Amino acid sequence: MLLPMSKVQIVGFKERLEATLRVIQRLGTLQVQDVTEHGQGPMVPRLALDAKAKAQRDEINLLAARLESFANVLVPSIAPTSLPRYYAAATRKNTEELIAEANHLIDALGPKSQELVLRRDGLEAEQTSLIRYQATLRKVLPLAANIPRLAGYEILALLIERRSSAVLESVRQKLGELVGDNFDVNVRHIDEQTTAAIFVFPKERSAEVNALFGQQSISPLRLPQELAGTSLTDTLAAMERRLSEIPEAIKSVEVELRQLGESWWFSVRLLQAEMRDRVAQMEVVGMVGGTRYAFVLVGWMPQRNVEDLKKALAQRVGPEVLVNEFRVSREEMKQAPVALANPPVVRPFEFLVALTALPRYGALDPTPLMAFFMPLFFGLILADIAYGLVLLLLATLTLRYCRKRLYRSLAQIMLLCGFWSILFGIIFGEFLGTLGHRLFHLEPLWMERSGATVKPLFLFAVALGAAHVLLGFMLGIWQALRVKGRKELSERLGKFIALIAVFWLAAVLAGTLPRDLTTPGIVALIIGIVLLSIPMGWLGGILAPLETLGIVSNVLSYLRLAAIGLSSFYLAEVANELYGVATNVAVGTIIACLLHALNLAIGIVSATIASLRLHYVEFFPKFFESGGVSFRPFKETEV
Amino acid sequence: MDINTGLLAIGAALAVGLAALATGWAQGRIGSAGAGALTEKPELFGSILIMLALPETLVILGFAVAAMIILLLGAGG
Repeated sequence: MLLPMSKVQIVGFKERLEATLRVIQRLGTLQVQDVTEHGQGPMVPRLALDAKAKAQRDEINLLAARLESFANVLVPSIAPTSLPRYYAAATRKNTEELIAEANHLIDALGPKSQELVLRRDGLEAEQTSLIRYQATLRKVLPLAANIPRLAGYEILALLIERRSSAVLESVRQKLGELVGDNFDVNVRHIDEQTTAAIFVFPKERSAEVNALFGQQSISPLRLPQELAGTSLTDTLAAMERRLSEIPEAIKSVEVELRQLGESWWFSVRLLQAEMRDRVAQMEVVGMVGGTRYAFVLVGWMPQRNVEDLKKALAQRVGPEVLVNEFRVSREEMKQAPVALANPPVVRPFEFLVALTALPRYGALDPTPLMAFFMPLFFGLILADIAYGLVLLLLATLTLRYCRKRLYRSLAQIMLLCGFWSILFGIIFGEFLGTLGHRLFHLEPLWMERSGATVKPLFLFAVALGAAHVLLGFMLGIWQALRVKGRKELSERLGKFIALIAVFWLAAVLAGTLPRDLTTPGIVALIIGIVLLSIPMGWLGGILAPLETLGIVSNVLSYLRLAAIGLSSFYLAEVANELYGVATNVAVGTIIACLLHALNLAIGIVSATIASLRLHYVEFFPKFFESGGVSFRPFKETEV
Repeated sequence: MDINTGLLAIGAALAVGLAALATGWAQGRIGSAGAGALTEKPELFGSILIMLALPETLVILGFAVAAMIILLLGAGG
């Protein structure tokens, strides 16, 4: 059902606006409307933030961004899921207190957290580079063992692909031209792919030699500065020592960060939430109207919450803040935002309705009907005890272990679908197709979905469709009567009568009804077509019969309930037959299980799509009035 | 199986097969356009799902014709 809404006006002294907004935001039940869009009473201009408030808003935004960078590196001191509870219970500060608190936190936390993060990043970077050096040095070591790091000389080591090693000879020649005999080069093929080379040359020619390597597209390995002056063996040992120390050092930084988190994380997160909410309050001021001394706030809220708002404002802001409920015309009521409020078992289906559009305010909410028919259609298509049990198991596991709202909603829908699948499975006597019959003589309560007995199944699907579509028309007629829409009433009544007449005549043709009843059927059909043609004007004579055919095709569309179900049944049978054909029991079992799993997956998808489509395309257009705008109350952000 | 039964079976197969081809062609075109639209506006998911499901009526009506051929004419033959 749709929650009844009220349009309210809140008036008070300007200096109480901040406190008023704080209370409204905390309650989270009012959607603020731009005061200039409100059509009733004298026009009040919008309030604008003064220079001081704008400066405070900018400062809060800046401080929030700085706090965010610190908070991200802190380890949570409590379970993040319990934060909303604490935030709801905490008292709110005024803007000055908020800014002072943020500055205090940044001063207390900033330098220490930055220092720790820099230290940790530095250690991690050092670890990465040392591991890289180590791998290369190990390859070069056999070549350069015990080469001393001579003062005034630089050592460059490099590894290149063996097939490119000819370039080293050209480098040696050019190095000779550059520094004369004052250098040494040692080259060795380390393995089948790699050649190592060590170059020793005067340090003062370093820039020119490096330029030479650059020209040849060679990147030599550079050792860390702190290891200069030692032999490569000593360098390697020093690296290993350092590498064994680094994890401990990182761990100690993490411990310090954890301690810092225990002291500050909680305060930082709460303060961030409060800052976000304060900025939101400041943004809302732009929608509030104001005179020299007073503010005027207009908005929509659920009727049932109006008294709570009045009480809260009187207690927390003062009795001089007035809350008035407007008398709203029927036309204006159509603009009211829409909030759906259904029982828990129906609520998961609300998002399926909203996938197309929300109902207009005052119109009928189709969610409860969808909550009944959608799982029923799904069950009629899948109709297998084993598949239904698997669905129940999957849904239960999701509800047990998953916290995400969307997945929980889907699981609740799946639970109902599973239930109906089991029920129709019992009616048709299906457990993994006919396996139940073969294994434990499972007999259908009504009929099997195979062979010659499919005709009643088709008739049942069409009858169910006719009932569903007629129910849609009845709701549409009721809706038209409620809003006194004559055209809609004539059209929906015409379709309703025409559809009954068509099936009446079909029953006469099939011999189910006596031939004497042909004339009343034809008369009813003509009355239906005439009623349907009235709102269509002069084209009605041509369009109304075509529309009637359209309604019949709407009903025939429900044949998919039987058709898709049959394909699912036959695929299950193929799985069972393949088990029988396989020579090896294990192979047969695996093939059968895989095919049944595939059938279940296809069944879930196609049954969901088909049942949804029957609602969206066949059922909703008979009565559903879309165009509702979702109710978005001004409330605190979720922490 | 006499020739009449065979012809009935071919007729039923054509009814559902050609309708399925038409549905597939229509859904292919709607699907590709819908996928493009969804990348720009994910909120259109519901509307695109409806549009994608619309041509399915063709194959269901084809199926209805095939079922009638087999159940009514087949039984009569």
